[in-house]
Amino acid sequence: MSTTTTPPNPFLNGLWRQNPTFVQILGMCPTLAITNSVRNAIAMGLATAFVLVISNGLIAAIRKHVPKQVRIATYIAIIATAVTVTDYLVKAISIPVYKALGPFIPLIVANCLVLERAEAFAAKKPVIPSMMDGAGMGLGFAFGLTCLGTVREVLGAGTFLSIPLFGPNFEPWVLFLLPPGGFISLAIWLLVFATFRERKQRQLQAGLTEIQPAEVRS
Amino acid sequence: MNSVVMIRFLGVLSLICGMLIVGVNIVTHGRIQINQETILRESLIQLLPGMDHQTVYVIEPSGELAVHTGGETTAKRLFAGYDKGGKLLGVVLEANERGYADIISAMYAYSPSAKTVTGFTVVEMRETPGLGNKIGTDPDFLANFKALDASHPITAVKHGTKKNPWEIDAISGATISSRAVGRLLANSIREMEPVIQRNKERIERGN
Repeated sequence: MSTTTTPPNPFLNGLWRQNPTFVQILGMCPTLAITNSVRNAIAMGLATAFVLVISNGLIAAIRKHVPKQVRIATYIAIIATAVTVTDYLVKAISIPVYKALGPFIPLIVANCLVLERAEAFAAKKPVIPSMMDGAGMGLGFAFGLTCLGTVREVLGAGTFLSIPLFGPNFEPWVLFLLPPGGFISLAIWLLVFATFRERKQRQLQAGLTEIQPAEVRS
Repeated sequence: MNSVVMIRFLGVLSLICGMLIVGVNIVTHGRIQINQETILRESLIQLLPGMDHQTVYVIEPSGELAVHTGGETTAKRLFAGYDKGGKLLGVVLEANERGYADIISAMYAYSPSAKTVTGFTVVEMRETPGLGNKIGTDPDFLANFKALDASHPITAVKHGTKKNPWEIDAISGATISSRAVGRLLANSIREMEPVIQRNKERIERGN
């Protein structure tokens, strides 16, 4: 379905064209669970990006030695190690970062996005592009979570990054902080992005049909 | 590809991963402990403003206090905080109670001489975001614990109906979580008050 001839830049690919949240619809558990505030969304997104870069890099480095039958077990072991090491390091290095990220880091193991990138990209490509792909996908994921977190925090609590927006008379729409609000705001964003994509594709097709006669004439 | 190769590969991989984790643990263990003590100290100072130093006690199963010398413990702890002159400012206690979603674990400051709760902070909870979790952040709710009479069993009452000094004005929309905080304080004080009064002089001396 894609008609591009040049291979897409692995970093930009994850950030936009193959955005994990809005295009691939991967990692929905953290997407729905952790996005009730912008701060949580950004923290979870960045922690996932960090783990993705490390795990993609390690998996790409050993990809030629992994027996095909046990590759999934290998990826899981590496991802779990990367998450545990990240957990220890954050705890040791910075108290403020630990307070913000602490509860989320162990949850990254369960994010299928990390495993999917290992299987789909890092298992076939060299180390540097794999790490770029990890960074792009991770930041794309962070962007998706932040989009959801913004809708939910603004409507559900009347604040953005804990800064009140509407003054004291605003009655928060608490539904948006609860699980149904997660589904509703995800649906809104998916609708927005699908509309945007469809329009772009139609423009592309219209552009092609206009160019073709000119090419025939010349 | 035969199974020996697979087993050898997975064996080597888990060995490396395990060694990596143990290595990072050994390197970071000391710092993590220092950081956790800093976090604990910060919350103690927040609960007992003006605190200079503290003595940590563990409550033994017999109900006796023993000075805690460091390291991990599963027993409940009692922190006695003193000002620069060594005068007891109050004690801080740890307590747990079943909330709406899961166990709420909290710390509160208690003045043994005035029999009053003087501060409250949530350590860990999974209450509903936006509703129940306000028990940790809502300034009006936390104002309940500036001077809460503990000589009478503490109870949480419906929002706006607080009449007595031992009552907690619940958060509207978070009544179950607010009631849980009331039970948490009432149960913990009922259990701990005799221990504290029995050891009052010792706590004041800090040994």
